[in-house]
Formats: sequence, structure tokens, C-alpha cells
Amino acid sequence: MADKNLGLMAHLLRRASFGATLQELEDYQAKGYEATVEELLHPEDAPEWDDDVFRRYQPDLNSVMYFESAQNYWMYKMINSKRPLEEKIALFWHGLFATAYGKLNHAKGVVNQTDTFRRHGLGSFHNILMELSRDPAMIFWLDNKDNHKDAPNENYGRELLELFSMGIGNYTEDDVKNCARAFTGWTIANDEYMSVRASRDSIWPSGRIDWQFEYRPEDHDDTEKSFLGHTGNFNGEDIIDIIATRPATSWFIAGKLYNYFVSDTPNEEAIGFLAEEYRKSNGDIRSMLRALFLSDYFKSEDVWYAKVKSPAELVVGTARLAGSYTTPQWDITNLASDANFMGQEILNPPTVEGWHTGTEWVDTGTLVERVNSSALVIGDALHPGVQAMIQRLKDRQDSYQPGELVDECLLLVGALHVSDGTHERLVEFAANWGEVSFTPEDAVSCSEQQVVELLQVILATREYQMA
Amino acid sequence: MTTTKTFTYSHTIGFLTAVGRGFTNPVDLAINSQGVIYVLNRAGPETTVRLPSKRVSMCTLDEEFLGEFGTGGHGDGEFWWPSSIAIDSQDQVYVADEGLQRVTVFDKEGKFLSKWGEKGSADGQLEYPSSLAFDADDNLWLTDSGNHRVQKFTRDGEFISAWGQRGPGLGQFEGPWGLALTDSGDVYISDWGNDRIQRFSTDGVLIEEFGGLPQGDAIRRPAGLAVDGDGNIYVADWGNERVKVLGPDGSLLASLRGESVDSKWAADYFAVNPEEGRLRSEADLFPELDPPARRDREISAGVEGYFWGPSAVKLDGQGRLYVADSLRHRLQVYQIN
Repeated sequence: MADKNLGLMAHLLRRASFGATLQELEDYQAKGYEATVEELLHPEDAPEWDDDVFRRYQPDLNSVMYFESAQNYWMYKMINSKRPLEEKIALFWHGLFATAYGKLNHAKGVVNQTDTFRRHGLGSFHNILMELSRDPAMIFWLDNKDNHKDAPNENYGRELLELFSMGIGNYTEDDVKNCARAFTGWTIANDEYMSVRASRDSIWPSGRIDWQFEYRPEDHDDTEKSFLGHTGNFNGEDIIDIIATRPATSWFIAGKLYNYFVSDTPNEEAIGFLAEEYRKSNGDIRSMLRALFLSDYFKSEDVWYAKVKSPAELVVGTARLAGSYTTPQWDITNLASDANFMGQEILNPPTVEGWHTGTEWVDTGTLVERVNSSALVIGDALHPGVQAMIQRLKDRQDSYQPGELVDECLLLVGALHVSDGTHERLVEFAANWGEVSFTPEDAVSCSEQQVVELLQVILATREYQMA
Repeated sequence: MTTTKTFTYSHTIGFLTAVGRGFTNPVDLAINSQGVIYVLNRAGPETTVRLPSKRVSMCTLDEEFLGEFGTGGHGDGEFWWPSSIAIDSQDQVYVADEGLQRVTVFDKEGKFLSKWGEKGSADGQLEYPSSLAFDADDNLWLTDSGNHRVQKFTRDGEFISAWGQRGPGLGQFEGPWGLALTDSGDVYISDWGNDRIQRFSTDGVLIEEFGGLPQGDAIRRPAGLAVDGDGNIYVADWGNERVKVLGPDGSLLASLRGESVDSKWAADYFAVNPEEGRLRSEADLFPELDPPARRDREISAGVEGYFWGPSAVKLDGQGRLYVADSLRHRLQVYQIN
């Protein structure tokens, strides 16, 4: 079994990244826990993913005109990014501000929105709401292009309060109406032409055209409004100023972050701690996450493996472990399909409420898909990550008894801690082969295959499927 | 001597279609002795429903559609990652495939004739063949991008020679893409990963490199290229979403951004979809944009008339420049004066 410090580092990397190989864990260990937290919190210090080679050989990734291409592009990015928390936070906001391709018929619009989450997702929540309110995909998704001075549309105004910032019970119907009025005139350029293209799913004559935000003062209701106890000739910026300072907002965001980064089971005390950090930092997400990752609420072994990995986390984490899809591969589309079959169509959440997470990721159908997908990827001994794991085993010693082999493989897949029962089953499985030896030469191939089979079984365990 | 040339946008050929009259991600084109334009459609992703879009479309300069051949797949005459197209002296059509590591030969009507090539790094083997060109002796040259070299074959696929190796040094390559041959026997290569063009003799001796343009004009990730009789170099500046024209001394003569308006095929579409056409005519299709990142890419995504993913340039010997505007599913044609 891995030591506790390594286990804690693995826990951090499962949450703030997509897991880590043993080599990566050791490299982070050498830096120390706090330094690793700081590094993760500053993705801008790491190089941006160079996607040129992918866009050259798979030009559909370049324009992401098709939904599948957009999904593939994000899969590549999550797998290859040196800024894992940037991807995780983009996935977080994508789940919270759930915007779906299905209504937009504009995959790049949703991709552009995720880019906004990358750029601003660790900054202030106030700024995130400002960017969200100007985001063309969101404006289309929640009909703010139809929100006019003389005919308000409340869809965005309502969800901004209910699903994106405070939660139901913290505002009145009048607040919703006045919130919507404040966002009149916030639309997209060429809105009529873009609307008819979207409604007809028109890609003609030359593919999609990126949407652009446009503010039209002549269509903005500039009259007096009352909102959450404040009165003035409010525009959208004023509304966000008010929302961002509400205690309900601090609790709302704290709860969402806790659920995403710590546990599927709420903890009022920990959420209160995070809400306080929101208030102290003026809603700075980076500060909240720093406080969280350094807290006992996060470090406690009680919350290790307390979350079911989302399908995206699972397939991306396994691909990163296997070292697969680091170069252009036409079958990248299978990876996104696997996540789709597990219940998470990235870029196309089922409703504006996003996905139901936690144990709802797992049913009899999706469990089989989760196990098969993981086993398929890790079962290819040609993948560089799998080869690296085998090589480490060989370098360490020539032969392994079943218990030793299980312990080493658990370490190799990211310092995985398993229950006594799981450990016992794994050792029983490995005992079928007796001693696994990498000498003489003619035993190597068989032993490598046995290691791969054991890795496949490890990835099927409850512990690996949890984060 | 640097000649004075002007480049005037002439018209657009193309319209996005999955099959039939139009293109899907055209990455290259070739023109035969009869003036037939063969447009190679890469398309993607490689899902069942998208595979038929991988094809060769045939048309004329004035947008008469003449048919198409090929489809996605691994069988004879099928394509996976088709990358380049060239025509020999007999008007036979050759298509390189970076997915199948082979060259496929068709007659001028598109009937499958033969295929050759296999994956590997030995002489004659291929790893992502990116660009094809015939010399005056009907030998076929190609950039073997994954092996970072240039190879020369007979038109029947018999290996003749290979040169080049990976690296940033003079005469070395990083994923070479475009290739152009001149009547005087020079070989020009777009050294994609090293952001430069290199000029060689036929036996691979470096003559000069072109890459030292001032900041702002510098070529980034060059793709297809062509060279005219005066030694001017036309390059699809893929990384900058432009087409650049360099004089024989490497000086910048022009930087084209693209200025496409609707093709005839597009006009036909709007004739039967008048409401969409009316709204389009009222829309601002050339807005001023200021994206926060990846500036040229994102501007191309938002300004439909600009080049987006220009992958190949071709000259027709009659003063016209053709640009394969891959992500906009069309060719933009310029008149050179």
C-alpha cells in the first residue's frame, strides 16, 4: 500500500487534475503538497497545449463545425493539457452553467464558452458572471437575444438567480422580472440571421460563423428597477454587482465547489468555511480552492474516494494514465462516445440544470460501460503509459509474488488505496498465475500480458471508479 | 529583379456539401490539361455518417460541377486522411493518404487504377505523406512528413531517392508539408514545424531558406506552396490564416487575408432559401473583431470571407492563383497581374 503522503498527493491530483501516474506523483511529492497546490492554481504558468499538429492532421478539429469534432477536441485538450486544473474548472463551470449543443446547433459556440471558463474560471465569481452574461452561446441558450426593452424574456434572468448564483428561495418573482429587464439589449450581432441559421441548422454556404456579443443601448430598458432591496436604473453589470455580494451566493458557490472537488455528500461546516472564504476574497475562486485544498476538510481520509468519477474524468484520466491520444488518432471519437454511453455528453448536457452527479453516474448499464472502456484503454500494452508501468516493474525486480504484484500495480495506477476486501480479491486473481517473472526472456511476453490483465481488473475496482 | 505584381480577388468556387456539388474541407486541388479542377475533400471526423464526404470533386473554373469519385474507407479507391492530389502528363490522378500511408491512382474520370505505399520509415515507405508534385520526367515527389524527409518515386511507385532528416538546422525538417518543383529543377519545401520554406537542388542540397521576415510578416506553420516562372513563392500561411507571396529573394510581396463572397452554388442555395438569403444580405459579414486569444484563428472563425485553414495554393499558368480554403469549404481564386 502507498504511504499516506503519497496517498494524499494522489487524492489532490484526482480532484484538481484527472489523476496522475506514479512518476507524476513522485515529481509532485518532490515539490511538496503546498507547492503543488499553488502550481495547480496557476495554470497560466504552464505552457498552453499546442494543438497545431492535431488541427493539421484532423482539420475538422480546427473549425469544430460538427458536434463530434467539438467533443473530440475537448477530449484531446483534457488529455494533453499541462494545465489540468484549468480543464477541471472549465468542466465544473460547464456543468453548472450547462449550455447544450442540442439547442444551439453551433458546436464552436459551446467550445468558445468553455474557453471563457478556462480564461476566467479561477478568477472572481463576479467576473465569471459578467463573462457568462456576454457569452453568445448563453445568450442563445437562454433566449436573451429575445429579451427586448418592450418585450422582456425572463429565461436568462431567472436562471441567473436560480441555477447560476443564489438558488431558489433567495429572491422574488419581481426580482426575476427586474433582473431580466436589466439584461435587455444584451444580444448577439446579426441576431436575426444567426437565429434563422441556428433554427434551420444551416451550415451554408461556408460552415458556421462565430457568434459575437453585441450590446444595443436602444433596446435596453433604462428605467428604474428594484432588485433585492436596491433601486436604480440598473443595467446587467449592476445586477451582477448585487448578486456577487449576497450571502446566498457565497453559500451557493461554496456548496457547488465542495460537491465537485470534495464529496458527493454535503458537509455544512466545510461549506460554511468555503462560503466565508468567498466573502473574505470577494468571491475569488482561486482563493477558495487554495483554502479548500489546504484544509483538513479536503485532506481528511474520510473524503478520499468519496466521489464517483464523472464519465469525462474517468475516460480522460484513464487515457492520461495509459499515455494514449497524445498524437492525432482518428479513433479519438470512440473516447467521447464512451463518455456519452456512460451518461455524460460533454458540450451537450441534458438540461440547464446540468448532469445529475454522484451515484447517479452509475447504473447497471453505465457500470459495464465504465469497466469495459477503462479495460480497453489500459489493456493495450502498446500505449506508452502502459509500457512505462511494465518497465518500472521490470526495473524494480525480476519477479513478483501475487501480493507484491498487486501492491506495485496499485501504486503504478496512481497510488490507489483499496479496501481489504478489494485487495484480497486482487491477490486471489493474481494468484492464478503464481509468481510473475520477467526472466528468462521467453517469459516476458506472458508476464507482460498478466500485468496488463491485472491492471484491467484494478481499473474495474470500486476504488478506481471513484475519485 | 523583383517584379511588381497585383493580386485581385476574382471569385469563389464552392459550397459546403457532404456529397454532391460542393466540398467538405478541401485540402488540395489539381488542374489537368483540359482545365478540369480536381478538389480533394479531407472531411472528418471518421464516423460512418461522415465518411462519404471524403471524395474528389471535379469542376471547372466557372463552377460547372462535373462529378465526384471516391469515398471514405480502407478499400481500393477509398480515402481515410487524403492529403494531396497531383496529375501526371497523361492526366492520371494521384491522391496521397496520410491515414492509409499510400498513394492511389485514378484515371481522369475517377476510375481506380492502382495503389502503392506502406507504413514505415525505410526507403520507399511512408509516414503521413502530405504533399505530391510531378516533375517534368513524370516522377512523383512527396513530402513524407512523419519521416521528416522528401521522397521521389516513379509514377508507378518505384522508389528512386530520399533525403532529409528531422531537426531545426539548415536542410532539416519538422513535419514538412508543401512541396513545389520548378522547371529549372529546384525543390521548394514548406518546413511546417520550423516556420520556413527551404529551397533545394533535386539531389537535396540546400540552396537557401526563407523564413527571416520581420515580426508580423513572419510565416507560421506553412502548408502548401507554389512557385511561378519568375521564382516568386506562393505559400498557404496556415498558422497565420493568410496566403503570402514572396519574391525570389524572400521579400514579402503580398499578404492576402481572403475576401470571399458567395459562389454561384451559394447563390443557387439562397435563391431557393430566400428568407435566409435576405437576412444574410442585411448582416454584417465583415465585422471588426478583437478576440482575447488565438487572434487570427478566431477572427477567421467570425469573418466568413477570410481564409480559414488555407492548406494549398496552386497556379494555373494563366495568371490565376487558387487557394484551398479548407475550413470554409471553398476555393478562393485570385487574378495575378
